[in-house]
Amino acid sequence: MDARLRRVNKEIADCKNDRTSQIRIELVGDSPFHLKGSFPGPEGTPYEGGDFDVDIVIPESYPFQPVKMKFLTKIYHPNVSSASGAICLDILKDAWSPVLTLKSTMISLQSLLCSPEPNDPQDAEVAKHYMTSKHSFEETARYWTEIYAGGPGSKIGKTLPAGARDDVAIAGLDAQHVSRFEGLGFAKNKVIDVLRRLNYRGPNASKINDERVVEELLKP
Amino acid sequence: MSSDYDYSDDDGDYYDEDMIDGTQDDYSDDDNMMDFGGDEDIKVPQKGKRKSYEVDYESLSQSAVEKLIAEDVEYIYSVCGVDESIASLLLRHSKWNKERLVEKYMDNPTSLLVAAGVTLPEPTSSPTQRSAPTSNNSSSRRTTRGASRLLTTFGGSGSKTKSPITSPTLTHYTPRSFKPKSSDPSDKFVCPICFDDAPSLRTLSLDCEHTFCSNCWAAYLASKIRDESEHAVKCMAEGCSLVCPDPFIRTVIGPSATSTEPGQEQENAKAWSHFQELLVRHYVASNKRLKFCPYPGCTNTVSCPSAADKSSLTTIVPTVSCGARGIGDQMTQSQSASGGSGGGGWGLAGKEHRFCFGCHVEADHRPVVCPVARMWLKKCRDDSETANWIKSNTKECSHCQSTIEKNGGCNHMTCKKCKHEFCWVCMGPWSEHGTAWYSCNRYDEKAGVDARDAQSRSRASLERYLHYYNRWANHEQSAKLSLDLYAKTEKKMEDMQITSSLTWIEVQFMKKAVEEVERCRMTLKWTYAMAYYLAKGNEKDLFEDNQRYALLLPSHSLIIHLRLHLRIPSDLEKAVEDLSELLEGPIEPENIPGLRQKVTDKTVYVQKRNEIVLEDTAKGFMEGRWKWNVVVEGFDEPEKVEY
Repeated sequence: MDARLRRVNKEIADCKNDRTSQIRIELVGDSPFHLKGSFPGPEGTPYEGGDFDVDIVIPESYPFQPVKMKFLTKIYHPNVSSASGAICLDILKDAWSPVLTLKSTMISLQSLLCSPEPNDPQDAEVAKHYMTSKHSFEETARYWTEIYAGGPGSKIGKTLPAGARDDVAIAGLDAQHVSRFEGLGFAKNKVIDVLRRLNYRGPNASKINDERVVEELLKP
Repeated sequence: MSSDYDYSDDDGDYYDEDMIDGTQDDYSDDDNMMDFGGDEDIKVPQKGKRKSYEVDYESLSQSAVEKLIAEDVEYIYSVCGVDESIASLLLRHSKWNKERLVEKYMDNPTSLLVAAGVTLPEPTSSPTQRSAPTSNNSSSRRTTRGASRLLTTFGGSGSKTKSPITSPTLTHYTPRSFKPKSSDPSDKFVCPICFDDAPSLRTLSLDCEHTFCSNCWAAYLASKIRDESEHAVKCMAEGCSLVCPDPFIRTVIGPSATSTEPGQEQENAKAWSHFQELLVRHYVASNKRLKFCPYPGCTNTVSCPSAADKSSLTTIVPTVSCGARGIGDQMTQSQSASGGSGGGGWGLAGKEHRFCFGCHVEADHRPVVCPVARMWLKKCRDDSETANWIKSNTKECSHCQSTIEKNGGCNHMTCKKCKHEFCWVCMGPWSEHGTAWYSCNRYDEKAGVDARDAQSRSRASLERYLHYYNRWANHEQSAKLSLDLYAKTEKKMEDMQITSSLTWIEVQFMKKAVEEVERCRMTLKWTYAMAYYLAKGNEKDLFEDNQRYALLLPSHSLIIHLRLHLRIPSDLEKAVEDLSELLEGPIEPENIPGLRQKVTDKTVYVQKRNEIVLEDTAKGFMEGRWKWNVVVEGFDEPEKVEY
């Protein structure tokens, strides 16, 4: 049997048999080389209570080349792109070793959620937010967990319609700040976009004067 | 490197009147070596003496470089007393800098061995003295073991010859004690990567004892070597920093390696040869005196010590050739490495592997030196289209010289920068227009003429650039079409052999001429780039000469300048165009002897002109005669000259 197939089959079986790690891997289609993994957000983090889905693609030269993984669930984390779910993790790139498995890689992802590395960010805006105010960052991350990953605070979970979501909170901004600039006659989503880009949060907000914000808002 | 050429004393003779009679006594030795008549093929004389525009270089095949590598390994082996495979790893780690390696090794061998991935970071101290291997045949060093016996035989003292360090002075390097992964010898080995547990499995490990099956090792090495071009492949275990030594790699994917996987043996062979090439490439890349031939599929290396130092690139243009011709499968090796005209076919397949040792901008950018050629190409890339657009679509404010595009509205312009108000039509100040708005009839008034003069002065630099650029680009375009010309000429040569009594060897004059035309076009092309950057001081000579000989000269032309400077009575450029025309023209069977004579003469003529241009510019660089109008890397700052 093809060594790659044998290995992947065994890895999938291992995950099925092992209930303690809480890592689940399932097939997406008929091919064992495109999988969907999921794991619960680690305890004591803003991701606690959420359930995170990961897209897994096994390349032709697996296990000698790393698996391709990205988050399917939107997640607010410095090392994960908030738009695409792309992950910045060394073992998925040059630090990959053929000894690593799908399970151990998923566990590494889980631990990445516990200890973000904002100095080597995938999403620079999120990383800035993390560096500026960890408290505010965690609030936003928790909110994302609630609305996207079915976190505990949210009764509605993943079924929440898009319109009912609080865009201001998703962007990790202060509602007061947004409404202040909205009051100057700018569209709400434009204000959110600009303030997010300027990292208008926590102590950083006082460093950015209103003129600068308005200037950005006036740009087409 | 110029010591063997005595150019310094004829510098003063350049302006001697007796040399302007066009006889060019200096170059008459070329004529003696040329055979104009008869049935001889025209050949560039291979003079024993190198010309001043040529550099000394040597072409090395892959195996020749491998020999150099072996010498270095041997050296480290003898100095540091480490096994060859370790010496190789150390050299690769130190980027083949032998002196630094030895220094570091003498300073702290352990840290160097660890950094190079030869030994594990913290060897557990277990000073079991083992007999040092006496043989250097290290290929047998990594033992392969049958899987069924794998875990049991580990305990045996003779099964591992781990440390290949042979020097008796290195007693501080101690082998690590072996820790079996399982104490139960009946435990079956399961490869942690492919989960194969077949009893026939061959297993391998480095000194770190991370054991995997040979198929996984082979697939891993092949993937690292072929997909990632990695020459220092680390152990497969996570976080393990041991590097696979060459004998290990040979055992796994070398010619004698066998595989149970279908198709793997072929993959192995490819990976093994790629690994050899990677080592050579790494060696060449680490050595400033060496450069890999950039032509696709070519594995030759050129050694050019005189161009190794970057500062030498201000005095020489190291155009070299690896000696091979053609691309890919059609490649042939020719013996003459230095610009010879022999060898193989021609056209694309016969194209000589010529390249510049000092830069990547272009294969042959003589006579201009690398930094200037690079600067010119960058400028062309950045500026040409923009400059053309600016020229045709904008004007400059007559007050502050800001470039302005008029994209609508009336002719009453207000400069956004300096608030100067002017008329777009006559460029004169708006205040003088009075009530004659929107229909300027003041085009000839003084203020308007003055303003336009100022504008044309500021446009002059743009014009100047475009002047050189267009001429440069013309030759570039012609050179690109040379492949067509090759094909056409080849056809003509065949026709000639049919319609006349000439033999194959006798029609080679056409081929020779085409090659010469291409070569001259290259030179001409780059003289325009050079002329653009030459400081006015150089051209002053030109203007003085101009007056002395009362010749009509277009300004800023290096070609003309060189001609005058060297008393070359005719123009290389014109001769090249004439020759091109002869080659492109129709061939009547009855005219062939005449044509042949004409083409042959013209070929020799342009060849000599070309050499003179190259010689003079090369000498100029060695003497530091050329000054630039811009800051050029490695040259003195230019004097302030108004352009």
